[in-house]
Amino acid sequence: MKRWLLLALLAPAAQACELPGGAAQEVKSATSTILYRMAPLRVGEHFAVEFAVCPAPEAVKVDAWMPEHRHGMNYRPTVVAQGGGRYRAEGLMFHMAGRWELVFELRSKGKTERLAHSVRLE
Amino acid sequence: MRRGLLFLLLAAAQAAHAFTEAQTRAVASHGPWPPAFKADPSNRVSGNRQAIDLGERLFFERRLSANGAFPCSRCHLPERNWTDGEARARGLALTDRNTPSLANVRLQRWFGWGGAHDSLWSQGIRPILDAKEMGSSAAQVAKLMREDPDLACRHRKVFGTPSPDDEQLLVDVAKALAAFQETLVSGRTAFDEFRDALVKGDKAGIAKYPESAKRGLGIFLGKGSCSTCHVGPAFTNGEFHDTGIPFFIERGRVDPGRHEGIKKLLSSKFNLLGPYNDDEKHATATGTRHVLLEHRNFGEFRTPSLRNLALTAPYMHNGRLATLRDVVNHYSTISPDRLHSDGEAILKPLKLSQQETQDLLAFLESLQDGGGNYRRKAFAGDCGRDAAFSRPQ
Repeated sequence: MKRWLLLALLAPAAQACELPGGAAQEVKSATSTILYRMAPLRVGEHFAVEFAVCPAPEAVKVDAWMPEHRHGMNYRPTVVAQGGGRYRAEGLMFHMAGRWELVFELRSKGKTERLAHSVRLE
Repeated sequence: MRRGLLFLLLAAAQAAHAFTEAQTRAVASHGPWPPAFKADPSNRVSGNRQAIDLGERLFFERRLSANGAFPCSRCHLPERNWTDGEARARGLALTDRNTPSLANVRLQRWFGWGGAHDSLWSQGIRPILDAKEMGSSAAQVAKLMREDPDLACRHRKVFGTPSPDDEQLLVDVAKALAAFQETLVSGRTAFDEFRDALVKGDKAGIAKYPESAKRGLGIFLGKGSCSTCHVGPAFTNGEFHDTGIPFFIERGRVDPGRHEGIKKLLSSKFNLLGPYNDDEKHATATGTRHVLLEHRNFGEFRTPSLRNLALTAPYMHNGRLATLRDVVNHYSTISPDRLHSDGEAILKPLKLSQQETQDLLAFLESLQDGGGNYRRKAFAGDCGRDAAFSRPQ
């Protein structure tokens, strides 16, 4: 009974992570959830990422790299907080086809956590 | 028996090349061609007919150079797909780099082998001022634009009352030159016909494309991984790579490529973050605002378009490779030891057979258009007939 009560209390917190505006990809760790969305990608074109982080960290960075090619992007994205744990990263570009890892770096209370998500680009 | 075996081998090599669904999507991504025109928001006269005429007039204008002998067309020859056939360009002196083609130049994001410029118009300023190329100055260009009746008239029609500032007139000249260069688009090729036929499922159209070129296209998309960087309708990702071409120019001198290009870009008052960008919101400056300078950029050079490349020999940033076959052989035998230890792990020797080399060449040659789609306009100084426009103030 106590266990069910605990789950019921936790459930609203989990549901609170939202990114209004349509379907979003989800990346999770034991402590954080990220919902992100971006327009259809094309090789060699700049794009932006809208995302929400729960719980909201003190600072966020976004980057990407190609593990198989051992290189990152040729651009350093900027992240602008939109309020309420939501953000917009601009200036990203995948300049080659293949598998990329989109990396979210979250910093809170002196600790850094990295959450990565694979994106394949034809 | 031997004859039978030989026949089987030949038959296997020449069997009709079929494309998978994924390959068909990849082929489709290299078109359609030509792409629709999109005006450059950073250049308020982009797409303007009178600016295009002024730009064409200026492109062949010798008096833009210090010695009155070197127009832009000295190195960018229309009959050579807007390049010069030399390993390294020679203006007032020998330069360090191969003359890039201007065909389809409007589709680029970065300009020059090192990408030191972020707009076609800012790129146009560099050779005018470069001591090794045209060796001119803003003052000389402005004087010409104010004093030549026909040029002054055309300038006024496009840009209005001329600025008293020489540098602003230089930028106007560069923007008119860019408007003209935006019109230089290569024509349709055998590949484009095949690509469209494949997308439509037009069997007769597909059959017209030579089997050797189809096999070469298969290598380009597959074993060769050429399409990793040579993407899209223009066959370039517009970015920079170290392809194992030595960057030593001569004893004690190197070409830093993209590394130097980014430094020059960010320190240039003509970049898209600066006051001459006509796009007030500076949305065109996204790349410049976010570009990242890293050690690995040393020795990286811009991925060139492959359209009409059979007309642009010699190849690479310093013209080191004389023929298209040399380029294919370079990638077939490339030594990973030549590449940066902190660079990308993309290139490895392709180890192409003679047949595969021939097929890849057949595909690359199918990216050539019929040629001759540019006709130089004759300007008879007709703008100057309007006295109200022709006299400098």
